[in-house]
Amino acid sequence: MKKSKILMMAGSLLLLSLFALPLWNITLEAPQYPDPLGLNIHIDGLQDGNNENDVRNIDLLNHYIGMEHLPKDLPEYHLFPIIVAVMAILGLIIGFTGKPKLYLTWVIVMAILGIAGIYDFYLWLYHYGHNLNPNAILKFVDKNGNPMAYQPPIFGSKQLLNFRVHSFPASGAYVMFLGILMTIWAFITGKKES
Amino acid sequence: MKFYFKMLNVLVIAAFSLTLVACNGGNSKGGALKNSAAEKVFVAPGKYDAYYAFISGGFSGQLSVYGLPSGRLFKVIPVFSVDAEKAWGFNEETKPMLQTSHGFIPWDDSHHPDISQTNGELDGRWVFINANNTPRIARISLETFETEEIIEIPNSAGNHSSSFVTENTEYVVAGTRFGVPIPQRDMSIKDYKGNFKAALSFIKVDPKTGHMNLDFQVLMPGFDYDLSHPGRGKSHGWFFFSTYNTEEAHTLLEVNASQNDKDYIAAVNWKKALEFIKQGKYQTMPARYAHNVYSDENHTATSTMEKSVRVLDASKLPGLVYFMPTPKSPHGCDVDPTGEYIVGSGKLAAALTVHSFSKMLKAIENKEFDGEAYGIPILKFESTLAGTVEQPGLGPLHTEFDGKGYAYTTFFISSEVVKWKLGTWEVVDRKPTYYSVGHLMIPGGNSRKPFGKYLVAMNKITKDRYLPTGPEVCQSAQLYDISGDKMEMLLDFPTVGEPHYAAGIPAEIVKKHSKKFFKLEENKHPYATKSEDAGKVVRKGNEVHIYMTMIRSHFSPDNIEGIKVGDKVYFHVTNLEQDYDVPHGIAMIGARTSELLIMPGQTETFVWEPKQVGVWPFYCTDFCSALHQEMQGYVRVSPRNSNVKLSWSLDGE
Amino acid sequence: MRFIVFFIMLTLVFQACKTAGNQPQSTEDLTKNTPKGQASVVDKESAPNILQLAEKTKELSTLVAAVQAAEIEHVLVNAGPLTVFAPVNSAFDALPAGTVETLLKPENKKKLAFILTNHAAPSTYKGRLLKDGRKIYMATGNYITIHRKGDDVYIGDAKILATVDASNGVVHLIDKVLVPEEK
Repeated sequence: MKKSKILMMAGSLLLLSLFALPLWNITLEAPQYPDPLGLNIHIDGLQDGNNENDVRNIDLLNHYIGMEHLPKDLPEYHLFPIIVAVMAILGLIIGFTGKPKLYLTWVIVMAILGIAGIYDFYLWLYHYGHNLNPNAILKFVDKNGNPMAYQPPIFGSKQLLNFRVHSFPASGAYVMFLGILMTIWAFITGKKES
Repeated sequence: MKFYFKMLNVLVIAAFSLTLVACNGGNSKGGALKNSAAEKVFVAPGKYDAYYAFISGGFSGQLSVYGLPSGRLFKVIPVFSVDAEKAWGFNEETKPMLQTSHGFIPWDDSHHPDISQTNGELDGRWVFINANNTPRIARISLETFETEEIIEIPNSAGNHSSSFVTENTEYVVAGTRFGVPIPQRDMSIKDYKGNFKAALSFIKVDPKTGHMNLDFQVLMPGFDYDLSHPGRGKSHGWFFFSTYNTEEAHTLLEVNASQNDKDYIAAVNWKKALEFIKQGKYQTMPARYAHNVYSDENHTATSTMEKSVRVLDASKLPGLVYFMPTPKSPHGCDVDPTGEYIVGSGKLAAALTVHSFSKMLKAIENKEFDGEAYGIPILKFESTLAGTVEQPGLGPLHTEFDGKGYAYTTFFISSEVVKWKLGTWEVVDRKPTYYSVGHLMIPGGNSRKPFGKYLVAMNKITKDRYLPTGPEVCQSAQLYDISGDKMEMLLDFPTVGEPHYAAGIPAEIVKKHSKKFFKLEENKHPYATKSEDAGKVVRKGNEVHIYMTMIRSHFSPDNIEGIKVGDKVYFHVTNLEQDYDVPHGIAMIGARTSELLIMPGQTETFVWEPKQVGVWPFYCTDFCSALHQEMQGYVRVSPRNSNVKLSWSLDGE
Repeated sequence: MRFIVFFIMLTLVFQACKTAGNQPQSTEDLTKNTPKGQASVVDKESAPNILQLAEKTKELSTLVAAVQAAEIEHVLVNAGPLTVFAPVNSAFDALPAGTVETLLKPENKKKLAFILTNHAAPSTYKGRLLKDGRKIYMATGNYITIHRKGDDVYIGDAKILATVDASNGVVHLIDKVLVPEEK
């Protein structure tokens, strides 16, 4: 079998790791938490990031600032697994055809879906950070007198009250990224081969 | 110009270094750091101590947990005495733990902690400790640092030669101090001699769960059994008890129990005892003793009254017990890490007596006896004697070992710790204690593998050592560094109650198993409330059961109406938190009990019997969160004949 | 400018050096705070202990000097209870000439301590507890027998002249030194 075919098929199969590995991680550090609290975002839901009960405990802290409970269920939790599975299978089939053009199409579709996913993630962060209960226990305002938002960064670190919040891709994202790189490589080698 | 500056720099730095060296040299030859006691005990903020020390609370009845070398107090674990701080003996769940055949007893005198062992080495699973007054043995879990089990010892009084474990924690052993009529009966005290008896109890420990069970007792003559230690290594299977009052005096023991030139160390062959049990040579005696077990599953204790005990009569079973004569009322009875030497500290004797286990076996084989006492053979003094430490000090009490061939003995009257060499019996060092030392402890000192870095001396008298606090001043411990040839005193620190014995263990063996919280979904308490929605109030006649939850920072329900004067109100409160170090407390005005201090995932219960009409508040007693002061609620109490309906709410819902 | 900075640094080091020197840094120093152990405790309010009683009693000045020479003060201030048979000065005087002087020499400290501890017994023996024929176990490990002759009480061949209660036991003034048999 051609090298490009193997690369394309293997790359798209790596997507399946997202069923086990977290896509993103948000970690909250504070002096009271020598073991920082962590939130792992998986394609099908939220899981404890660093210690048992982290999600529960983050939720508990959030109620002080009037944040909604973290979602147990979202449409995305059902949609994302389907998209990932479909893309992986498509990638396999495309790999089997051995057509570099289709490889490129797959990569582009994947990139669009990825950007859409991150945008969706941003919207949720914005939603939780801004839709605060007006009767919240702790209310802070910014310099201009507007209610303070508690939106974690989408990428990077930020100080939110007494917490230092870090938001970075997690293992699943890296594996997916590797997979996409492999499919791009498949496209390049595929072109050379033909 | 540049060159000039460089030269100046070099010169100044050189001068700077010289000064530092001079400064060190001025302090001592080894350099300031090497000899600084402060450096040796300083544990920087946020750093951990190297050892846990479990120090008995004596007449406080509890067990305190310290760090070494800092001497910082971490926790006082309630064991035999009620503790309002932790609701021990006050909440409904732990009341059964203090049940005995004499009823509920709120206090005792705790003496000798010992850590469980595997293959003769500390395994850090449990600590056992004895109650001296109403004889009991407790087992404390080193996962939760809570007392999990207490078993009462029948036929015993003054449970002093306890609670020491065999080298695989097969048994925890308890010996009686007082001779008493067995079974108890109405008789004249004057008829003590020959009629009073003493029981040595062997409590089997389940290797998995740690659950205790009184397997058998050895019935002995009515001497006083003072302390004991297990054989180890080659002497595994034997247990040694020091005795005094072999005179069998029953009055003014101060004088009358000091008449005999020699008392005994009793060597009990417990492996042989197991054979006798197998052969059915025991007697099953009726007895009443409480067996109390606390479960982390339902967070509740149960108390069971046991009805009988198997007894082996040492006078009638040859080969079970031998007496080794030991001068002048031996107190400490300590076995070295190899199991060969048994040190008897005659507390009135001028010398320390050391017996040899192998010589003892030989003497038994050759029947080198010097008569008998109540049918128990007395071995010839010279036949078991390994050596004596001559004129080591006044009032020897206890000995521990460093695993490097040295023994350390405390001297009460001359207030000192004396280091001597096993085998040559020569004194190599002595250091004063402040003042009148009782026990001493080297971590692992009662095992095959001691950790010979620190020694803790526990003093009975402090007088002017600390700021005065009225007539009652603290008792204290002193820390010595024993890693060198000479002992070095490092630190004084006050203790809780009167420290008798202590047990130390390297922190890394224990700390990794320490529990952080209880899992809510595993809570099997019959009155557990696992979510706020499940909260309710149920009336059964004049009993009212409140199913309440607590989480940062509210109770649910927090408004309750329909309670009447004369009701018996049970608050069953569950802490819904699942995070480390977020306990909540609860206290109700006028409740004749303590607060509850509830760990995450746990359920506890207190009873309130309101006597007055009104609206009465309750609140959280542990500063749990930023809104701790908001964590409160009200109960409306109506007259006895009122028809206010039972209702409960949170936030009006 | 630089020079000044370095000069300040140097001074600081010397300063630090000085303060460090004032702390009881070496572990040896820690025991020097209380040179005589429990006997260093200053307490003028409590009932006097055996050592304090002896120090106040003129007839016991030789004994006190001997206790100090043997450095066993802490034994007499201990919680006890102790019975001390305290030979009066004339008892020491009755010893062969030069005996006391020899014993007080530093090289005989151990021997002196042994002789002195032969005068102390654990527990409080007084009044009717001093029964005729009772053997008293002394801190040296020797037994000495009590005899009663009429109203007089003897320990060994020493007669009890007077008895004083102490906070930690009892002191019997006796007219002879109880010289232990050589071991």
